Amino acid sequence: MLHRRIFQFLIVYLLGIGLLFGLKLALNLSDYVIPGPIGVWHTGQAEFPRYMGDVMDTFAVAVIGQALSIMMALAVGVAGRRATWFGSFIKVAAYNVQAYPIVAIAPILFILLGDGFLTRLFIAAMICYFPLLLSVIGIMSEPVADIEHFYRVTGRLRWQLEVKIRAFENLHKLTTVVSGSATLAMAGTIVAEFIAANAGIGYSIRIALYQSDLSKILVALFIIGITLSLYQGILELLGAGLKKTWASG
Amino acid sequence: MKPRITFFRLTALVLLLIVGSGLMAAGEVLARERVAYRLKWLINASTAGDVFALSQGFFSREGLEVTVKAGGPERDAIRELELGYAQFGVASADQVIRALAKGAPVVVLAQLFQVNPLQWIYRADDFSLTRIQDLAGRTVGITYGGNDETIMRALLATAGMGENQVRLASVRYDYTPFFQNQVQVWPVYRNTQGIFLSDKLMAGGERVAFFDPSEYGVRFVANSVVTSQKMMRQHPQTVQQFTRALLAGWQTAMEPANETAVILAVGEHDRDTSQAVMHRQLAVTRQMIQPDPDVPVGHIDTAAWQQTEQIMIRQKLIPGPVNVIDRLKPQQTP
Repeated sequence: MLHRRIFQFLIVYLLGIGLLFGLKLALNLSDYVIPGPIGVWHTGQAEFPRYMGDVMDTFAVAVIGQALSIMMALAVGVAGRRATWFGSFIKVAAYNVQAYPIVAIAPILFILLGDGFLTRLFIAAMICYFPLLLSVIGIMSEPVADIEHFYRVTGRLRWQLEVKIRAFENLHKLTTVVSGSATLAMAGTIVAEFIAANAGIGYSIRIALYQSDLSKILVALFIIGITLSLYQGILELLGAGLKKTWASG
Repeated sequence: MKPRITFFRLTALVLLLIVGSGLMAAGEVLARERVAYRLKWLINASTAGDVFALSQGFFSREGLEVTVKAGGPERDAIRELELGYAQFGVASADQVIRALAKGAPVVVLAQLFQVNPLQWIYRADDFSLTRIQDLAGRTVGITYGGNDETIMRALLATAGMGENQVRLASVRYDYTPFFQNQVQVWPVYRNTQGIFLSDKLMAGGERVAFFDPSEYGVRFVANSVVTSQKMMRQHPQTVQQFTRALLAGWQTAMEPANETAVILAVGEHDRDTSQAVMHRQLAVTRQMIQPDPDVPVGHIDTAAWQQTEQIMIRQKLIPGPVNVIDRLKPQQTP
């Protein structure tokens, strides 16, 4: 699963970068607009260790943000799964808050929390949390009729069992959602660093943009992509392992 | 019968006039050359001459149909020139020099700001900055990767100061660290942000002052008008017409008598700045566009460009010389 993820990422990255180089060649563009392969290679050699450190910094925040989001989304999703007033209120709130552009909220967070770890974590969690919540609510509010019916008529269906049944029956969907949310958490952290932080790969990308250095951005994208692919692969493996353990237990 | 004939004749005449003038106008439009002009930043007092030239018909009188496009942090005029999205643009000297170092075929037609508006604001009641050495021990804001970082490092190097003698703090669009006095010396565009930041602090009973790098010998060139070498080669007349119209627009916009018209033109795009603030922004902009009445608007300060290149080489922002003066192509203007 892991090697497949990496392989797929490499195909996408190489296709993308190949398209850029092709465009550069076809339109005879200078290295300022699109850097050449040698320039990107040299930048990679020079910046890789520093950018790797930055990506790890960002990644650590993203993982914590994602973990927090998963916990919150599960808790709120379970609470809001029923077609009650509270359930509908949570859905509406989630839709509305998701509609706010993070660039508008970031300065407020910056004032409240400063430009450090907390702001990054908060924004990462915000970007990651709401799609997760909506998916969890979607999954948890869908009854598994044939199984639940048995427990219901025998009077043994408690809310814990209901959640367990729905989670197990939709484990593949949940794994996909959690794995996908890793991308959102990483993107959220990068956005946070871009607009309101002094650390991480988002901050380095911002500096590279100021310097109009696309080579650095391509190197950063490569490291971000490979790290995310590895992480998503690991999450999928964990999901598969969990399902196996659950099924055998 | 007779009045009816006269009526028909009159109607026909009016119709002919309408159609004729329409055709003439269409012909005029068709004859006009269409070009796009990408600014460096959003439209405000710093682009007064650009929007004034457009609104007052300076371009159309030169036979050009110009689309003035607002800039922004993700916009890069030099890239757009090469990609053909714009034929003219505004770029700072460091952008031009970086682009040249990477082989971009860019040329400079005019230098809009003779004094770089990028300066540092500080509370005048707390301390005063009369020498670069006065920065010692202060927390100085810089945008890492931005040209204010380059300018500040050049200033420190000029004074023989090490970076350990000042505390450099990373800044961005949010001014909270300055308002809270966590960062004491904050980079601003003197003619735009500088005005409303002064107002805010003055409203709180605080006096402000500005630290201008050019007073200490660092003359880092700011906004300049650029085009591509291809444009220069293939459409030299259009380049001349554009530069002539643009600089005439700037010259006229900077005349105090036209201030109200300029504010109206800028206000069409910049709806968030009050007219009172804009008046003061324009007054400062005027001093930066033409500090010396004997020096024409758009004059290219070759020595300042050379100094900018030298600073960038010393700070290893470019791998080697790019001979920027070879790319300075001032156009003949009246």
